[in-house]
Amino acid sequence: MVRIKHRYLLVNILYPDPQTSNVRLTAKSGEEVFYTMQFRQPSSEKMDGKILFRMIKDGVAELFGDYGAGKIAGSLQVKYFSQATSTAIVRVSRDHYRLVWSALAFATQLPQPLSQPCVIQVVRVSGTIRKAEEEAIRRARISIRRAQRASKPARTIVGTDGFSKTTDGFRRVQEGEDLNDSMLGGIEDTDGPSVAGEESDGILLS
Amino acid sequence: MFYDLNVPYHAGDAQLPRTLAFLSELGYNVVALNHTIVGKLPAQITCAIPCPLPYKDLPPGLQIHRRVTLTLTESYQNARLTELARAYDVLAVRPIDERTLQLACSSLDCDIISVDLTQRLPYYFKFKMLSEAVKSGKRLEICYGQGLMSDSSARRNLISNATQLIRASRGRGLMISSEAKAAVGCRGAWDAINLATIWGLSQERGFEAMSKEPRSVIVTAQLKRTSYRGVIDVVYGGEKPERKPVEQAKVNGKAKEKQAVHNGQKRKAQDDAEAGAEVSEIPLSKREQKRRAKKARTDGEGLQGG
Repeated sequence: MVRIKHRYLLVNILYPDPQTSNVRLTAKSGEEVFYTMQFRQPSSEKMDGKILFRMIKDGVAELFGDYGAGKIAGSLQVKYFSQATSTAIVRVSRDHYRLVWSALAFATQLPQPLSQPCVIQVVRVSGTIRKAEEEAIRRARISIRRAQRASKPARTIVGTDGFSKTTDGFRRVQEGEDLNDSMLGGIEDTDGPSVAGEESDGILLS
Repeated sequence: MFYDLNVPYHAGDAQLPRTLAFLSELGYNVVALNHTIVGKLPAQITCAIPCPLPYKDLPPGLQIHRRVTLTLTESYQNARLTELARAYDVLAVRPIDERTLQLACSSLDCDIISVDLTQRLPYYFKFKMLSEAVKSGKRLEICYGQGLMSDSSARRNLISNATQLIRASRGRGLMISSEAKAAVGCRGAWDAINLATIWGLSQERGFEAMSKEPRSVIVTAQLKRTSYRGVIDVVYGGEKPERKPVEQAKVNGKAKEKQAVHNGQKRKAQDDAEAGAEVSEIPLSKREQKRRAKKARTDGEGLQGG
């Protein structure tokens, strides 16, 4: 019996639109909150894996019709969704992951009850869920560090739940890594030798 | 390094810093702001994009170039194309029909050929025509932004035309850019490459269309403008970096003498010696200890003598 092989897509949801923000981002008097924090803001409370699932299914059906919808129907699953980091891990069979990926790329806003403009970026395609998880943790760490670096003077993030903290307390995390490089990296984690982006992979591992 | 060589520019666009920051967030390193000219060229050709952009919060580490796109019509002036090219960093042309496309591919001296793929084109791309353009260093552009943001007919046309373009050019000399009017229309570099893969480009070619090809556009365009006959250019003329004046904290005789001793030495040795003098926990080598002792003796004699 041959095992069914899957691909796990690590997905980031970015919110480039300033009008529809889920959280109140405040900065010190009169200053703008840094862009990197605006883009990587938490999703709204109503957003969850089910909505993402529906969104992907509808997107594939719109782009590829019943053929595409049928192809992915058996294997598509949202394995993980985090509102706090707007990160998700989507499982799909290996033969058809590009259908799901392009449906994600063609999405311009969240589905109906939310209808918030968003950009969905696939940051990692992995053969195992473990690698996708590790990558998610690494990226979350990097984006925290990046936000801290962007906000050199102490700024306060006030979430919807009144949760508040200064970013200064976390400054102890080691700096000095070139964040820009490590955010890119090779996206593919295939079974064989990695395709493009090999050299940038080397940079981020070192 | 990922490139997006088509970010529309309008004077007084308040959303532009946001778009640029978003592109930087998505992982792009080089972008080009695009100014579009439709119809007649103005009498006085100047660059419409101010050189230091009048925004204060531009993302650091994002290289910004200036590009102009000229829509080719029946009555264009070929002679003024070079003048236009000189005012901007990159020159692109947008042919509207087969005749102007033929002209752009063969004789016009431009860097990018950008066909509007969201419209139904009443002609086929021919490999002969496109390969001629690619051979002479021009690149063909696929803009995905319009297809994402507008209605389904635009998307259908984009998919159809992009597939045709990929087929006719055999994947060579293509570049992918966004042409997104707002930040929502931009996509990550790998997402765009995946789209191109769906449309029939191989993944390696897609990666090149995001990185290598636009880079060659930028480099050749720069070479055309600054170099001698587009062949040779001075990259580094051998100028030495400006030397910082040596710090003179202490002005007493001892410090001066110390400096005189150190000036003959290499800088590393000097740093080591100074660090050794100030921080005592670094263990000194035997040789260094002897040298110090000797120096102290000679210094003492010098002081006594003086």
